Amino acid sequence: MKTKTTQVRPTGQERKFSDGELIVTKTDTKGILTYANDVFLRISALDEEDAIGQPHNLIRHPDMPRAVFKLLWDTLKEQREIFAYVVNLASDGAHYWVFAHVTPSFDDNGRVVGYHSNRRVPSRSAIAAADELYGVLRAAERRHDRAQEAVAAGHAALQRVLAERGCSYDELVWDLSTNGRAR
Amino acid sequence: MSELDEALYLIADVCRKAAAGNLEARVPYLGESKAETEARSAINDLLDRTDAFVREAGAASAAGAAGHFYRRFLVGGMGGAYRRAAEEISRSGDAMSRNAEQIAAAAESRIAFADQLETAVLALSERIAAAAGEMGRSANGLAGFARSAVGDAERGLETVTELRRSSGQIRHAVDLINRVAMQTQLLSLNASIEAARAGAAGRGFSVVANEVKTLANETGESSGEIIDQVDAVQLASEDAVRVLKAVTDRIREMSGLIDGIAAAVDGDTAHETTGLSELAEVLRVEVQSFLAAARA
Repeated sequence: MKTKTTQVRPTGQERKFSDGELIVTKTDTKGILTYANDVFLRISALDEEDAIGQPHNLIRHPDMPRAVFKLLWDTLKEQREIFAYVVNLASDGAHYWVFAHVTPSFDDNGRVVGYHSNRRVPSRSAIAAADELYGVLRAAERRHDRAQEAVAAGHAALQRVLAERGCSYDELVWDLSTNGRAR
Repeated sequence: MSELDEALYLIADVCRKAAAGNLEARVPYLGESKAETEARSAINDLLDRTDAFVREAGAASAAGAAGHFYRRFLVGGMGGAYRRAAEEISRSGDAMSRNAEQIAAAAESRIAFADQLETAVLALSERIAAAAGEMGRSANGLAGFARSAVGDAERGLETVTELRRSSGQIRHAVDLINRVAMQTQLLSLNASIEAARAGAAGRGFSVVANEVKTLANETGESSGEIIDQVDAVQLASEDAVRVLKAVTDRIREMSGLIDGIAAAVDGDTAHETTGLSELAEVLRVEVQSFLAAARA
């Protein structure tokens, strides 16, 4: 059984899951894991007791730009769904790409009680495109030592990319996921 | 309560919540046995997929309604009936997208049509206005021409009437001459008889009487010819009067028609009719307000 006291070093080994599978997690409003399905535990090489009660960034890969997570949380705070290509880090150092769909969970009174993430297998072309985009954002973020400045720089870089393409973040993500077929 | 009962109650609780629409609940740890692990995993998988389907169905439909057609129903992880329903929703999204595209295309072609129509109507109304101006000027020119033609014809009529009157007077004069000539013939006959009775003494007078008779005869013949000619002049001038009257009437009719054309082109304030150039302007204004409505 692995513990998260020491930082996991990425091995560069890629792990995959099948098209028919869904990786599912639920968190409370603070992003603490309250539920993780079997697929999540298997792919992340985690036992249930290692995951539940931990913050979701337990599986955070260093290649992920900060700006993407900021966008994710900003969007969720507006009670909107968000899609993102995410590379995650398993506890054994392997990584896996997902196409994540994160949505708020509501109670009967319409109050947000937590967040829910469904993750599906992304296409190889989408992974390549996301990897390239994140490289640009990472480069912008790494020029700054302080986290806040790094996030701002990554965000600005993302906005520049969107402005160049003349589309919104959502449209960009869907363009990747459908290889431009939906538009 | 046995451990199995406890596990079954836990499962029942989660199932009841899910049945009531609470898809947040999941089956907690039931125990270490393979059956317990399997049951928990299977039920939670069912709930995860149902949860995913419900989230997708809601979000994809909302996105479609908002016109965000790029947002598709994610069919990944959906099998069997879930997948069929997901594909159905995707298809309806595609249909909505196509409809929206068609509506947008129709709107675009409507705008293009409006532009074309506007250009055509503007050009047309300008040409109508120009043509109307030209027609108005022509009609006024024709009307003036017709008036002066009527005047000329009336003057011609007067002249011919004058000619008839003077030829009547000539005839009168010639009648008088004729009567004088007949009288002179009678006179010369009497003079010849008297000269014969006078014998040799009247021989010279008889020659004069003969000369007078010849002169009177010639005068009678000439005046007959003159009368014939005067009759011909009178007949011809009667014809001329008839023709001139007909021409004048025709020109008057034509003048009326030209006035009608002028009224149609320029408008007629007396009868509150609108002129052609004004109508062209009305058409332009009407079409433009129609187009403004069509473009909105």
